[in-house]
Amino acid sequence: MMRTLMEKTITFLSWLMTLVLFSVVLFFIGYLLHKGLPVLGRSLVFGETDPMQAILGRARVFDGLFPAVMGTLYLVLLSTALALPIGISAGIYLAEYAPPAAGRRFGFFFDILAGIPSIVIGLFGFSVAVFLHKHFSGRISPCLLISALSLAFLVLPYIIRSTQVALESLPAPIRRTAPALGATRLQNLVYVLIPHALSNIVSGIILSIGRCAEDTAVIMLTGVVATAGIPSSLLSQYEALPFYIYYISGQYADQAELDKGYGACLILLGICAVLFILAGMVKKHLTHRALYKV
Amino acid sequence: MEQQEKIILRNVNFWYGRNRILDKISMKIAGQTITAVMGPSGQGKTTFLGLFNRLWDDIPGAKADGHMEILLDNRPVTPIRKDIPTPMLRRKVGMIFQEPNPLPMSIAKNMAFPLKLAGIQDKSYREAKIKKALEQAFLWDEVKHRLHTSALDLSGGQKQRLCLARALVLEPEILLCDEPTSSLDAHAANVIEELLVQLKTRCTILMVSHNPDQVQRIADNVFELQNGRMNPSDIPSKHLPG
Repeated sequence: MMRTLMEKTITFLSWLMTLVLFSVVLFFIGYLLHKGLPVLGRSLVFGETDPMQAILGRARVFDGLFPAVMGTLYLVLLSTALALPIGISAGIYLAEYAPPAAGRRFGFFFDILAGIPSIVIGLFGFSVAVFLHKHFSGRISPCLLISALSLAFLVLPYIIRSTQVALESLPAPIRRTAPALGATRLQNLVYVLIPHALSNIVSGIILSIGRCAEDTAVIMLTGVVATAGIPSSLLSQYEALPFYIYYISGQYADQAELDKGYGACLILLGICAVLFILAGMVKKHLTHRALYKV
Repeated sequence: MEQQEKIILRNVNFWYGRNRILDKISMKIAGQTITAVMGPSGQGKTTFLGLFNRLWDDIPGAKADGHMEILLDNRPVTPIRKDIPTPMLRRKVGMIFQEPNPLPMSIAKNMAFPLKLAGIQDKSYREAKIKKALEQAFLWDEVKHRLHTSALDLSGGQKQRLCLARALVLEPEILLCDEPTSSLDAHAANVIEELLVQLKTRCTILMVSHNPDQVQRIADNVFELQNGRMNPSDIPSKHLPG
């Protein structure tokens, strides 16, 4: 009797918490839509500039979010591209090749890395930029590349750990199928283990994309500015949506300006959603291709 | 090595770290026989099977010693001393498991998988091999019209026969069967038993089983593994008077 009551209570509380969380998320998105939708439009992104001219790079956008949108996209793609090969390789090493003791030590190290506040990583990136400026080239200063490297450093632990956990959690029957048929360790990894773990690995990558898109502390110290236009090179300063949101919410002169911040939030969420959907499509396509490849 | 003996073990030990799982195992197994190993759970029966294809290779802390000789291609090899590359050993010593483990791909691709791993590129040769192995596993007639459908859609018994056929496609000389019928219904189990009896003319079969009736029906030799020691079992094999 007591046990049944306890079970029912726990079930109800779990259900209630899920409902509360779901409601909060719905309220949050609803609030953003309520505030942001009215200002969302061509002029918010392109200002007075012709959109086609701006997209083709023939005209600069001065009073719209287009440079910040492009800066965010560049930043996310660049930092993810930098972090992926290193993160996935390290995750594979930890899961499949590292001796247990080394695996534990490296795992602990990556957990510490994951816990470092992003502002500290931003400061480190800034210090690297100053060092390079002093000792290598006066052209190097806080820029898109330094930001992307810092962000890649920030998200590396997520990619490493998600790859490692995805591989380690594969059940024994899957692990031993190919070896029992004469597969080498590498063949087993490439043809069986990675394809089976791919779905969870990509989930980790999606989390990393979100983190790259939203982090403000790192980019504040490493190259983002309020007005820079679309970056012309990796060594250029740039604009980014999270910094715009941070800046406008602290410096707004009137309600209309603050509402533009909400519009920027919606655009940022939209960019993340598009990137998540793309990653999901890649995941589905890659998993299918990988599993049927051999 | 004596002429008819396929496998000889003398004082073979196996450890996981400091924990000795197999203790001075000594036995001789003749070729083209079915040898069953019985015993309570957790005594190391699966570990014992893994000795023959070195499936323990990648397990940290696992090690084996002693004298172990297998006759492959009429040449004695000693897997414990690693005098044969592991992938090559595993192509000659096939294995099927308690739970059927087809890969999430078509029946044809499952069958082609070990051949491709072995670097066999000739498609018509592969197809002939696949057909032969599926026939040996009594599966060809059931799947010949749906070779390109998912292997995961097969029934439990069919999946196990597919896994058996997939192991046979490499024409192993020794076949390790880790409780191959324990997850199957009675009918599917009977088919696998019948299959193993037919297969022993082509390869030497080592089988772990918990089913004394099954062992009595199909095994030529029966051993019992307990506390790491291997002893001839009281359960009569089919060649001994009951």
